[in-house]
Amino acid sequence: MRPIVQVRNLSKSYRLSQAAQVGRPSSGGFARRLGLSVERLRGLRPGPDKTIWALRDVSFEVLPGEVVGIVGRNGAGKSTLLKILSRIVRPTAGEVDIYGRLGSLLEIGTGFHPDLTGRENVYLNGAILGMRRGEIGRKFDEIVAFAEVEEFLDVPIKHYSSGMQVRLAFAVAAHFEPEILILDEVLAVGDAAFQQKSFRKMQDVIREGRTIFFVSHDSSAVLRLCERALLIESGRLKDDGPAETIVKRYLAGVAAAARA
Amino acid sequence: MSELREVWAHRELLYFLIWRDLKVRYKQTALGPAWVVLQPLLMAFVFTVFMGWLARVPSGGVPYPLFAYAGLLPWTFFSSAVSTAGNGLIVNGPMVTKVFFPRMLIILALTGVRLTDLLVSFVALLALMGWYGVGVRWGILLLPVLVLQVTLLAVGVALWFSARIVSRRDYATLLPVLLQVWMFASPVIYPAGLVPEKWHLLYSLNPLAGVVEGFRSALFGLPFDWAGMVTSGVVTVLLVAYSVRAFLRADENLVDII
Repeated sequence: MRPIVQVRNLSKSYRLSQAAQVGRPSSGGFARRLGLSVERLRGLRPGPDKTIWALRDVSFEVLPGEVVGIVGRNGAGKSTLLKILSRIVRPTAGEVDIYGRLGSLLEIGTGFHPDLTGRENVYLNGAILGMRRGEIGRKFDEIVAFAEVEEFLDVPIKHYSSGMQVRLAFAVAAHFEPEILILDEVLAVGDAAFQQKSFRKMQDVIREGRTIFFVSHDSSAVLRLCERALLIESGRLKDDGPAETIVKRYLAGVAAAARA
Repeated sequence: MSELREVWAHRELLYFLIWRDLKVRYKQTALGPAWVVLQPLLMAFVFTVFMGWLARVPSGGVPYPLFAYAGLLPWTFFSSAVSTAGNGLIVNGPMVTKVFFPRMLIILALTGVRLTDLLVSFVALLALMGWYGVGVRWGILLLPVLVLQVTLLAVGVALWFSARIVSRRDYATLLPVLLQVWMFASPVIYPAGLVPEKWHLLYSLNPLAGVVEGFRSALFGLPFDWAGMVTSGVVTVLLVAYSVRAFLRADENLVDII
């Protein structure tokens, strides 16, 4: 089968401490002492910037319908990888080829506005995620029923409880149906009952045969949802294989680091 | 070009972003959209007192309040669009770093919001013209072209500033100062004829000079300064082309430094 996502030699570097230079004491004229050189304003000054590699030489392929978990410690590069796959961040080197409509949920409720009503926010948030107006309209009743906010649809969401807000946000996200879906820690919202409901909804989405990338610190969620997993360590793809094996290795590594 | 195709593909989001801002702005206000008309009207009143009555600035045979209001319409649109859209990427930072869509859309949406304001404030202008007994002439047919030009201009300047502000916040502080200077360098509250002859060429390089004068000529049936308007049009096209390129180049790593 032809892969739906191909990632080849992907690297991403960030330059740090650009801002720290402004105001650094230096010799020279008055203007320079005030930190006002033209080069600095134009951002061209080639100072002693530190380059850090958030991702280094990552390559993998994903087939249609695969559900891939991405595990790794904080700062390993998981979010950077998801952002590059989502086209939000551009890679420094390497290529990403995606054959299909891709949608990402790196955060739920993006663009929610407190002064708008529940109804208005559903349409707005759906449009921001990449849904068509017609599509939102068709799924509107389902979204509202899922979020359990029917009675408050025409109330500004600033009057919602925080639980109601996240339920509505999750409900919109869960009814978004691209061919390739990228999920970052979005399942852990609401109370225990709603979390179970969200989890079942995700399992339904998986059964429909969509390709999914899933990042979570909850290893049991990765094990229950994913068949395959990638282990990222310090920006490198350390391991790639069946979810069970990879999660076990990841947890063993974390335990070893904790003992050391 | 691929970027422009991407913008077109996201046109529905553009509509929703404009709709959101219009909707949100007047929640919890008593006067609501009336502010769109009231704001330039109040400004026109202030300038009428100081410039029209006290300083006796000439207004080309048009009653000064009408003269000022007609100049303030394109200027208020331009300056409010540039100052909100210029800061748009920062203000919408959470959205820009969490979802993919062409970043240019933010600038277009914020300009679009101000453009609807401009269209609404035309209604008050027509009422004001009726009050002063100034009739509509054929020249008004040129007005849509001038509105298009000032819109392009606002988008261009906002694109350039928004990219600069992301990397250096200094530009956010500079922007209102520049706009203040720009207003006095444009014939908003005085006629361009007040500028000495030898400075005319330099003056007409300010693209807003042609737009604002053009607005008045179109509305009040005054003669058009064709040379000035063509110069202003050419400068507008060059400025927009340059800004779009600068924005797209900066867009490569905007998200990394926002």
